[in-house]
Amino acid sequence: MPETWYDPSRCGAPLVVLLVFCFFVLLFINLARRGRKLFIRRIAGIAAMEEAVGRATELGRKVLYLPGGGTLDDIQTIASLAVLRHVAGLTARYTVDLDVPNKDPLTFAATRDTVHEAYLQAGRPELFHPEMVHYVTYDQFAFSASVTGLMVRDKPAAIFLIGAFHAESLLMAETGQSVGAIQIAGTAEVTQLPFFAVVCDFTLMGEELFAAGAYLSGEPAMVGSIKGQDFTKAGLILYIIVGILLEIFGIHWFRDFMTIQ
Amino acid sequence: MNLERLVQVDRRIVYLLIALGTLIPILKPIGFAVSTTPPVENFFAKVESLGGDDAVLVSFDYGPTTAPECDPMAEAVLRHCFTRGIKVVVVALFPLGGVTMAGEALEKIVPQYPDLVEGEDYVFLGYKDGAQATMKQMGVAFSGVFPSDQEGTPLDELPLMTQVLNYANIALVVSIATNVIGEWWANLVNAQFGTPVAVGCTAVSAPKYYAFLDSGQMLGLLGGLKGASEYEQLLIDRYPALEPIYSKAGEYNAMKGMDAQTVDHAIIMLFILYGNGVYFLIRRREKREARLEQ
Amino acid sequence: MFWKLRLPLMLTFIVGLVPIVTFFLTERVWGVAFVRDRVEQYMVIITGFALLLGVVNVVQGNIRKIERRKPGWPFAVSLLLGLFVMGAFGILSAARVGPFQSILTAPDGSDTPFYWMTRHLFNPLQAAMFSLLAFYVASAAFRAFRVRNVEATILLTAAFIVMLGRTPLGEYVFSWLPNGETFLPWVTEWIMAVPNAAAQRGIIIGAALGAAALSLRVILGIERSYLGIREK
Repeated sequence: MPETWYDPSRCGAPLVVLLVFCFFVLLFINLARRGRKLFIRRIAGIAAMEEAVGRATELGRKVLYLPGGGTLDDIQTIASLAVLRHVAGLTARYTVDLDVPNKDPLTFAATRDTVHEAYLQAGRPELFHPEMVHYVTYDQFAFSASVTGLMVRDKPAAIFLIGAFHAESLLMAETGQSVGAIQIAGTAEVTQLPFFAVVCDFTLMGEELFAAGAYLSGEPAMVGSIKGQDFTKAGLILYIIVGILLEIFGIHWFRDFMTIQ
Repeated sequence: MNLERLVQVDRRIVYLLIALGTLIPILKPIGFAVSTTPPVENFFAKVESLGGDDAVLVSFDYGPTTAPECDPMAEAVLRHCFTRGIKVVVVALFPLGGVTMAGEALEKIVPQYPDLVEGEDYVFLGYKDGAQATMKQMGVAFSGVFPSDQEGTPLDELPLMTQVLNYANIALVVSIATNVIGEWWANLVNAQFGTPVAVGCTAVSAPKYYAFLDSGQMLGLLGGLKGASEYEQLLIDRYPALEPIYSKAGEYNAMKGMDAQTVDHAIIMLFILYGNGVYFLIRRREKREARLEQ
Repeated sequence: MFWKLRLPLMLTFIVGLVPIVTFFLTERVWGVAFVRDRVEQYMVIITGFALLLGVVNVVQGNIRKIERRKPGWPFAVSLLLGLFVMGAFGILSAARVGPFQSILTAPDGSDTPFYWMTRHLFNPLQAAMFSLLAFYVASAAFRAFRVRNVEATILLTAAFIVMLGRTPLGEYVFSWLPNGETFLPWVTEWIMAVPNAAAQRGIIIGAALGAAALSLRVILGIERSYLGIREK
């Protein structure tokens, strides 16, 4: 165990990256709050959300929203709640049925509050009923069985699969495809992204999922944080290029500095 | 001919052919030859380099859902260790069925080695919740997280565990994993404690593990049924006495499972070729019609 | 406002800082191990209570379904039956009540009712659900892999090589060449270890930064949608 009060191996590269990251994010949040216009590219999956809910309205069928299997300590679930808030706002506005089955009990409590609040904000509290957000089971495949059964019976017109998904992703997305629903997915689970990309109409990949909430809110502070994140990424790309060059020339201190123990 | 209808094959036909392609080779094995790849060879070579003075930690980080892929891996690794006289510490960190999988694997493999003594040659410590915290704690002391084995015997009464106190006494960690737990062994235990780690995972998560393999945080990888079958093949080649176990009728193993996987892959590829053939004809027709319109 | 907004935001800020700060400090600093361990333990405890909330919701929802004779109500009956029977055996075994003195094995060495149900009902059902993936992968691949453009053709070619290379078929394709049986498996390994790993890393780095940015927004109280309250 180290003799110091801080862990020297972790106070090198990780601390530098953390500080650089926080600097950029806070800088751009500040700039955005002062009125600087920041450009964020259009994300097709987010733009299609309203179209999907509109289609459900035309067909008179429900919208199914799946917030993933993660609990609230999974940041993908937090990102999903931001999207859910937007989708619930749309379903309230278009007066179309929304169904939100949950796998995780903590997420269930949060999704219920989120949907309720979205209906309140949309000025349609009378349309909210607690049954639209319900708990199913903690088990991954029992949950998949229940949700796919629900898809086949109710034939939702729009399905959102946003959050942390694992082996159940294809089971749900393929069933959704078979009932003819327009499907918008979003996850940061790299092993599941190929399934969503193949089966769903739109897919928010990795960081797009985390940017979705900020993008939808349009709030300067939120948008600024995405810009800060992009600058950190540019810095990391530079880091990698420098690291490769130094390794090629046999200089290893940079690699050692980046190693975490 | 209505090409659009031809390209839209009823998915039930696909399902039926896949079902037959799985069922028939399992009931009547074909016996395709299996070649090996470096990630599996490295894994095998590491276990091969160990002996009676070494201990391997085998962590059951999967449940019944992925048993057809993961069971053969776990069984092959246990057989390899027991054949070489390597001491084995078994734990389970997967909450939904990990302990059941570990218990069933030991129930199956241990009777094949009548000289094995529980507590001396192997121990089964059972399941512990909180995978990451448990992994960290085992680096300090196994007794900190597992005060007793699965049957309730205190660790200090188990001769093996008086010698194996933490990762410093473990020559290799093998995680047979279905989800993120395998990654944690690599980026937490290998990175922080320097203990060599090898992972066996489902085929669907194998692509993710190549990054850890490249970075040296894992020394070997068994990717899905193919990886498991390669390990079985290496085991039979090195220890021909094990061959009857793997050729026994009615016993499932990865090499037999590979027959089904091979046939299914062939069916999928044929469907893709068929779909593209019809698609090509549709496009040719569309181009011809466009030319005529001009 | 204090209970619904300020207090949760303050708690989020403090608890959100714990893993960051404790990552850099050693256990020599007073309270580090205590606070870190407590946060992990509280998560388990809170989830336990939330699970109770979930169970209550399942029971209420399904009883309502049966009362109103909604379509598919017999499924609700079987669900409740499964929940109560398996739950009761599990709780009795865990609490070691009466003849239920163990979760897994009865004194005579046979399986307890709970374990029997796990082995013979729960496990096969789980495996059956997972095995559906084989069918779904096949139908999704059939639909998706079309030579529409250059990118799709590259994707299809790589998929074909990997599908062949991951089976013994890959060895037969070039077996007429000297040492040809190792060619496709080698190309497969290369695809997995180089282009695949590179793309995975790119996505992982991007996603990790996105997750960090969102975490920072949550810790600083900029992102509040998880609280179910107004953003401003």
